[in-house]
Amino acid sequence: MLLCGCRHENAPAKQHLTIAYEVSPLPARVGDVTITIRMKDAGSNEPIAGARIKLEGNMSHAGMAPVFADAKEIGPGQYRTNMKLSMAGDWYVLVHLTLADGRELEQEFEIKEVAPA
Amino acid sequence: MSWNRSLKSRKSRQPESAIQVSQLDPTNKAEPGLDLLRLPLIGSLLKQRHARTLLQIPLFVIAVAMILHGLFGPQLAPRNLATTLTWVHFRGALILVLLLAGNFFCLACPFMLVRNFARKFFRPALNWPRYLRNKWLSVGLFVGMLFLYEWLDLWASPWWTAWLIVAYFAGALVIDSVFKHATFCKFVCPIGQFNFVASTVSPLEVAVRDTDVCTRCTTKDCIRGVREPAAPLVVIQRGCELALFQPRKVGNIDCTFCLDCVQACPHDNVGILSRVPATELANDTLRSGLGFLSRRKDLAALTIIFAFGALLNAFAMVSPVYAFEQWIARRLGVTTEAPVLATVFGLFLVVEPVLLIGAAAWLTRLWDRSKRSLIALAVRYTYSLVPLGFGIWLAHYSFHFLTGLFTFIPVTQAAVAELGSAILGQPQWTLVGLPVNVVQVFEVGFILLGLFGSLLTSYLLAATDRMVRVFIPWAVLALIIAGAALWVMSQPMEMRGLVLGSG
Repeated sequence: MLLCGCRHENAPAKQHLTIAYEVSPLPARVGDVTITIRMKDAGSNEPIAGARIKLEGNMSHAGMAPVFADAKEIGPGQYRTNMKLSMAGDWYVLVHLTLADGRELEQEFEIKEVAPA
Repeated sequence: MSWNRSLKSRKSRQPESAIQVSQLDPTNKAEPGLDLLRLPLIGSLLKQRHARTLLQIPLFVIAVAMILHGLFGPQLAPRNLATTLTWVHFRGALILVLLLAGNFFCLACPFMLVRNFARKFFRPALNWPRYLRNKWLSVGLFVGMLFLYEWLDLWASPWWTAWLIVAYFAGALVIDSVFKHATFCKFVCPIGQFNFVASTVSPLEVAVRDTDVCTRCTTKDCIRGVREPAAPLVVIQRGCELALFQPRKVGNIDCTFCLDCVQACPHDNVGILSRVPATELANDTLRSGLGFLSRRKDLAALTIIFAFGALLNAFAMVSPVYAFEQWIARRLGVTTEAPVLATVFGLFLVVEPVLLIGAAAWLTRLWDRSKRSLIALAVRYTYSLVPLGFGIWLAHYSFHFLTGLFTFIPVTQAAVAELGSAILGQPQWTLVGLPVNVVQVFEVGFILLGLFGSLLTSYLLAATDRMVRVFIPWAVLALIIAGAALWVMSQPMEMRGLVLGSG
């Protein structure tokens, strides 16, 4: 499943982390999608474990109901959640990260052209 | 007023139908009803000399906050005040107030606050050019606005939305600093034109309470303004800047509800009166500041854009539009969005109206053996589409408004938090609005209500022309448009920019 998902490799957050997002299936359709997040240290390439991750999906149009999901750690530096996309179109997912040492980060990635169910 | 002079020559050529329809005049001043200005509290508030300014100031403050947040705040539309308040709350509140009351947005228009302030320093000296004293320019701007909305994905862009608001302020300021009267409102502002057409279905109208009082009036302050007794050239309370002479004003078109006439009338003879919505559309008497509706091709064109633009604007937010645009792009062999959108606009706003209205007008002439031209018939009966167009706008805008009703709360909380204040607490992003399936019931109801209004209006027009059978083609036209609107509303919504070549 992950192989057919899209992959977003974000710039290191505060020069410490590399965060990759995978969405499957792709192209996404209205309904459940699986989002996998991989975090590693930008310098040592070691996975970042013990983070708490909350995701918030927003449509590109104001006024639409956002959808929320909490990701669970499924392996070292690897987190996964299901998110229920309620409408077709472009989705912007805000990722709220709280690292094990208490640092908080916020990132964003897009799920483009979600098709009707 | 120079605008009135241009209408005088039309009086002698009053159309036959105007005489017949005068019996149906919905603005019959003898009819007692609700007068908003005579209600306790709200009436006394609106009659205050500075009532308009009091209403404008909060909207001005909100507009400034929207501009600043749009330019400097987060660029995700659901997180920004500019996009949230403009495309969810402003549009929804505007159309609901028009449905339930009248053109109260123009009354509280913040653009006019800035313009009025500027006029303390710049006294305009020029008259708006005669060839522009019609709605053609504003029809073009209205279409341009609808086009920009789709092309720039304004609904998804806080930055462009902020600049749009700035452009409105600048437009009102520059035009009304150079040209006299309410030139921007009457001939330029696309929002104003939308409100003028939409307010024909509103239940309230600024109107004379007792026409006999006007007959006896010698000063005509409602149009001339109140003058300084010792210096007649000095106006201490302006009259109607949109050239609407109260005793001959019919309906809501061109009325901004500014209440200058209320302030100016020395006899306290102007009120905000209740009436039967939409019946003014079947009234073809001579209107102050407008002439005869049946002779105003520009107003009919505005009506066509209003009605068919409602369908287009709604169609642009559902899934099939993307397949349609991809198909057009392939046929045209283009990979840029502008020519595709221009084609869609041409199909919806030119080809479709010409074919449908043309066919209805042709059948009208055929069945009635009328000697009137197709254009004349089309102009006369096109106004019957206003209620249906209004119903479609209402269904669309109220969908966003009701499903996103509470979203302004977390966005405002977040905006205040960005300034470093915790006074409003943590943003409550789970606050949204009514469930979609509930709002969809309202959508269908609004479209059917609009259809009913259009059927009634076309029947009234046909009845006053004494050729009831021509009601049929216009009823069929309304049914076709309503059917299309219901189909659009039943489609899955899809909110995204167009990426050509991907589908």
